[in-house]
Amino acid sequence: MAKTYDYLFKLLLIGDSGVGKTSILFRFSEDAFNISFISTIGIDFKIRTIDLDGKKVKLQIWDTAGQERFRTITTAYYRGSMGIMLVYDVTNEKSFENIKNWIRNIEENASADVEKMILGNKCDLDAKRQVSKERGEQLAVEYQIKFVETSAKDSLNVEFAFYTLARDIKAKMEKKQEASNPPGGRSGVQLKANEQNRKPTSWLARCSVL
Amino acid sequence: MNFQSKANKYVCPNDRQLSLRAKLRTGWSAARSEPPLTTSEREAIAAVVKRAEKLEEVEAKRVGRLVARLEGMRRSAQGPAPRSCLLCGETARLLSPLRTCSICRHTACSKCVIETFPYRKMTNGRPPLYSREAYMCNLCAETREMWKKSGAWFFKSLPKYILPQRRATGRYNDTELARSLQDAGNSSNDGKTDSEPGSPLSIHAPTFSRQPSNTDSRKSITSPHETHYEWSETDILSHGFSGLSLHRADSLTQRPLTNLKRTGSKGSAYSLRSIRKEIPKPVDQIERPPMIPDAGFGTLEIRLAYENSTSSLAVTVLRARGLIGMDMTGLADPFCRLEVLPREGAYSNRLRTKTVHKTKNPEFNETLHFFGITESDLAVKSLEIVLFDDDRYGCDEMGSATVSLRECTKSPTQLRLALLGSSGAEPTGPRILLALCYSTKRRALVVNVCKGADLPPQDSNGYSDPFVKLHLDPDPYHKKHKTSIKWRNLNPVWNEEFLFETRPTELSRQNLTLTVWDKDYGKPNDFLGSLVLGASSKGRRLKHWMDCIKFPDHRHEQWHSLTDTQHL
Repeated sequence: MAKTYDYLFKLLLIGDSGVGKTSILFRFSEDAFNISFISTIGIDFKIRTIDLDGKKVKLQIWDTAGQERFRTITTAYYRGSMGIMLVYDVTNEKSFENIKNWIRNIEENASADVEKMILGNKCDLDAKRQVSKERGEQLAVEYQIKFVETSAKDSLNVEFAFYTLARDIKAKMEKKQEASNPPGGRSGVQLKANEQNRKPTSWLARCSVL
Repeated sequence: MNFQSKANKYVCPNDRQLSLRAKLRTGWSAARSEPPLTTSEREAIAAVVKRAEKLEEVEAKRVGRLVARLEGMRRSAQGPAPRSCLLCGETARLLSPLRTCSICRHTACSKCVIETFPYRKMTNGRPPLYSREAYMCNLCAETREMWKKSGAWFFKSLPKYILPQRRATGRYNDTELARSLQDAGNSSNDGKTDSEPGSPLSIHAPTFSRQPSNTDSRKSITSPHETHYEWSETDILSHGFSGLSLHRADSLTQRPLTNLKRTGSKGSAYSLRSIRKEIPKPVDQIERPPMIPDAGFGTLEIRLAYENSTSSLAVTVLRARGLIGMDMTGLADPFCRLEVLPREGAYSNRLRTKTVHKTKNPEFNETLHFFGITESDLAVKSLEIVLFDDDRYGCDEMGSATVSLRECTKSPTQLRLALLGSSGAEPTGPRILLALCYSTKRRALVVNVCKGADLPPQDSNGYSDPFVKLHLDPDPYHKKHKTSIKWRNLNPVWNEEFLFETRPTELSRQNLTLTVWDKDYGKPNDFLGSLVLGASSKGRRLKHWMDCIKFPDHRHEQWHSLTDTQHL
């Protein structure tokens, strides 16, 4: 195991069909862009290991199909993901409005403390823009989610978005650990319980047998 | 398939549609607007799922390693006791007071805790000066780390994991070494060695699926602890590294040791003459199996040819068979050193073959020529062939054979020689006496640097001022030790003891590096020799190291020759 890592974070990309989820992921994992549109079949995932504060973090990023017909498959992957990116298309008003539906979808299916982020993709197409940056920010404030406008084509903010989400997850992890020592405390107690129980139980067992 | 695409889905379907649906067995739901997946789509999704499963397996194994590591730590912990360390059992002393873990509230010595600061009190990333130091015992720290690394912090319970198999913990395989060493010896005891399939300890750990609640997850951590951790540290201590039960392991491990130890005493039984008598005529030599008694060190085939006109002796080293294993895999890197004895004056005419790597049955097929050997020499001189194991850190003798040159007076002679054990157990030349002992009580490797002998003089007065530096590699504690300097002494006696904190499982991955230096003031110290002991070393050094791991709490004393290569 030469290529080992410290943490594995599972991320998920959701959003309407054609907003550029696959392109964002393609840009992030391969640093490339494909102009042609190929609809994702059901689900797909890509992997990239990044370095966060000296820790190797392996990101497993699930890319879902935006199409309605794959919904049953894609929702199955909500629960396992630690971070979810909601993607809309700035040139498509409908996809922006649907973000609310997607958030509802997350609330129904995903784990409660999942880290979220809104991405307004295709921000390079300023001429065709239908959703202003301010509206996106407003929505993000409304839901208290981080927001960033990206362009997979121009490689704008894609890295930043993933790094931010990963960093948020890591920070959440550290915070959880420090704040409410659940595992540490428990294990210590558990060990103590074990150590104390081991001998007495054997004695008790013998006594009851006798 | 979408037979109602045009129809309004909220209108009751007509009879024809209903009968069609009945045939298709697709149910009666009216909201079936999405077409079902095509086979190609299904295949694509299945491929993705398969890929994900592969990744998950890697992840499960990684988590398994984390769990196993923690369990190992937990097992090796001494347990809570008043006024003693939870982990190493050390009692409180004046200079090293015990700390209390802020999480489990147990006491631990300063080596077994890490300093932490309460999260909330952190200001600007720096702990406030007035806050009291907080400590966390290594066990809690490791648990916390495991919780984080496995993703359990998010899922509230440990994800699926696969415990590493016993083999995977040690990087090497000692049974193989033992077996190969045994095979090299008298291979009369079969059946004892096949430890893998039926051995009671080779249980494959099952996988544990993610448990929904916290209590269950705790169970899933502890249950493998009870059943499948036979191989963990304490076990290695008692059973040795082979997957055999205690007594079997002993019987097996003793054997190769005796093989290695077997020296001149036994070898003397096969003196020069007795070998020659038993060697059959060279003509039928090739087809026949070796008739000579095998001393356990294998055989060597050579061809001798004497050329009158040039007064040269051509020795063709053909091959060797059944050599003893020298490294962890039971293989060796043999080469032959040839010499015509007795020497004439101080002039030595040693020749050596090339090294054949990673084999016990090397094919040398190399002809070496000794010149200046007269016909009268043939009657009195003999050829000594010594097999060595090629190693960066000094060569170990694997066996030797001596043949009188009278053999080749007439015609080219092909001979098959039995190799004898190394002439002396103790090395000559610059050497050092080391005593190793793994102390389970102190959880440390105790290295006693006893004495050195025949060290090379480096100072103008014909002496050296030797001292020894030693360290373990890799060592999480980065401990380095130095002996005192013995002034003007080529045979220094140090008798100094050094401790390296480590675990027996770690020990098999670590190397002990010793370097001997001549202390000089005003100029850099002169290098006198070095020695590396570890699982990757070979021959005597490997044996010493393995003895130390296999039989802890025993003092293992052994001489080692120093090499002049500085490999740091």
